[in-house]
Amino acid sequence: MEKTETAEAIEIKAARWVARLDRAGDDPVARADVGHALEAWLGDDVRRRGAYFRAASAWAMLDRASILGRAASGAKDDAFSGGDSSWQEWDDDQFDDEYRRYDQMQVSEVVRPSISRRAAFRWGGGALAASLVAGVTGSAVLGPGTKRDNTGGEVIATRIGEIRRVPLVDGSLASVNTQSQIIVEYKPKERKVALAKGEAWFRVAKNPDRPFVVEAGDVRARAVGTAFSVRKTDEGVTVQVTEGRVAVWRVGDEDNVDYVDAGSRAFVAAVLPQTKISEDPPAINRSLAWRQGELAFDGDTLGEAAQEFNRYNRVQIRIDDPALASEKLVGRFRTDEPDAFARAASTTLDADVQFVGGEIRLYRR
Amino acid sequence: MERPNRHKIMAWVGAEILPHEGAVRAWLRRSLGPADLEDVIQESYCRISALDDVDHIRSGRAYFFTTARSLVIERVRRSRIVSIEAVADLDIYCNASDEPSPERIVGGRRELARVMSLIEALPERCREVVRLRKIEDMPQRQVAERLGIAEHAVENDVAKGLRLILRALAESEPAGEGSGIELERHGKDRNSRSD
Repeated sequence: MEKTETAEAIEIKAARWVARLDRAGDDPVARADVGHALEAWLGDDVRRRGAYFRAASAWAMLDRASILGRAASGAKDDAFSGGDSSWQEWDDDQFDDEYRRYDQMQVSEVVRPSISRRAAFRWGGGALAASLVAGVTGSAVLGPGTKRDNTGGEVIATRIGEIRRVPLVDGSLASVNTQSQIIVEYKPKERKVALAKGEAWFRVAKNPDRPFVVEAGDVRARAVGTAFSVRKTDEGVTVQVTEGRVAVWRVGDEDNVDYVDAGSRAFVAAVLPQTKISEDPPAINRSLAWRQGELAFDGDTLGEAAQEFNRYNRVQIRIDDPALASEKLVGRFRTDEPDAFARAASTTLDADVQFVGGEIRLYRR
Repeated sequence: MERPNRHKIMAWVGAEILPHEGAVRAWLRRSLGPADLEDVIQESYCRISALDDVDHIRSGRAYFFTTARSLVIERVRRSRIVSIEAVADLDIYCNASDEPSPERIVGGRRELARVMSLIEALPERCREVVRLRKIEDMPQRQVAERLGIAEHAVENDVAKGLRLILRALAESEPAGEGSGIELERHGKDRNSRSD
């Protein structure tokens, strides 16, 4: 095996071999000749074998183009050798028919469609019906099984690890993070959402006549048409804005309104009077990765990352070694895979990982 | 070289593996240098070529990612140059939905359109050769006669055209399966862990 041979050089040679074998066509003698020479070139070189297989598969893939040739020979003569791309002028039905025929010939053996077109339509109809029902009952939340609190607000609560995306009737969207609870109460002049605990992100449908106000303890965040998140912890309330501008104030201190713009976050501490505003769009994006069921880190310590995972999982990550816990890392993970995270961390940070009962321990020997 | 399922497997690779190469490359690019990346791609195809059957594989995309990942992990073990996310965030890119796409016909049409656009993008004579060979299904000898050029010139154009198509496939946009998972990438790709 030549270690010095570049991947590009291999790729070029692989394409030549495919062309050579293609030239041999159906002639068995010529094929055998080329085949022997090809085997000698391939040897037991992993990269050469891979490159050849890739090139040969790509060349075979181009056979798909022949369905157009075949179809054209019926309707239009020589449609593809002269003018260009007349295939684009086909209407969809023609294309579907032709494709289906081709599909049955060669491809059907490897592809098993799981949902029929009919089923997809039925599903679409169901969603439409749900939205109509929601309109009739005057619910602020789209979807079935909404609980109400004693003032008529609709309660959306999540369990540990659960992340819910809830469409609201005005076209706004709420993403509710793990172990959180919001109460949605739409009034004629105001769209009110109380964050009882945890964290939620809102994409607010624009309506200047009916502001969207989130209440978290004694903190208020008001928007007319923006996207922002609110998180409530023992230490205070954090508002992070991803689009537009949000007004933030404390109840009883209405004269002191802070305006937070996209890419900035405001932290209203439980004990301090001052609201702290900082601008860091990448950090905000990372901290909202949970909306896609992910956790993203960049320079965070292993300890901080473990703490984040522990918000989402019953299985807790434990790191007793402070030196190990202060190692920094970069990465993007699924919230529900603390085990994958722990394994990756142990590989990169040279630590051991142990799975004991409901715990994942990271340690260094 | 020729095995019973060979044709079937190659057809499968054309339909279910090659379209995702751009996505796999995008994922690898975040943790590997260009030379290592090419090696991993070639080695992945080598592994796939060793398959005796593909009936048990429900998602080519997921399979491709998993194969590439295991090769990356082997590299990580040999040297610690790879960032932590490379081995862990596979599912984000792969979004390993095992489901074949529900609208197979639409997918097939898109695939055909893609094959056609690959051919259309070739330089003039190359395109003509590939067109006659693949769309008209003419053997190389006949293509040479039709175009009035030597057979070895046709063979050269086939090799050249194929190579350009392979490049285009490598650079194609990651083919998402409309998963609803939004990729928010920010900042530059990281080649190593920042300490």
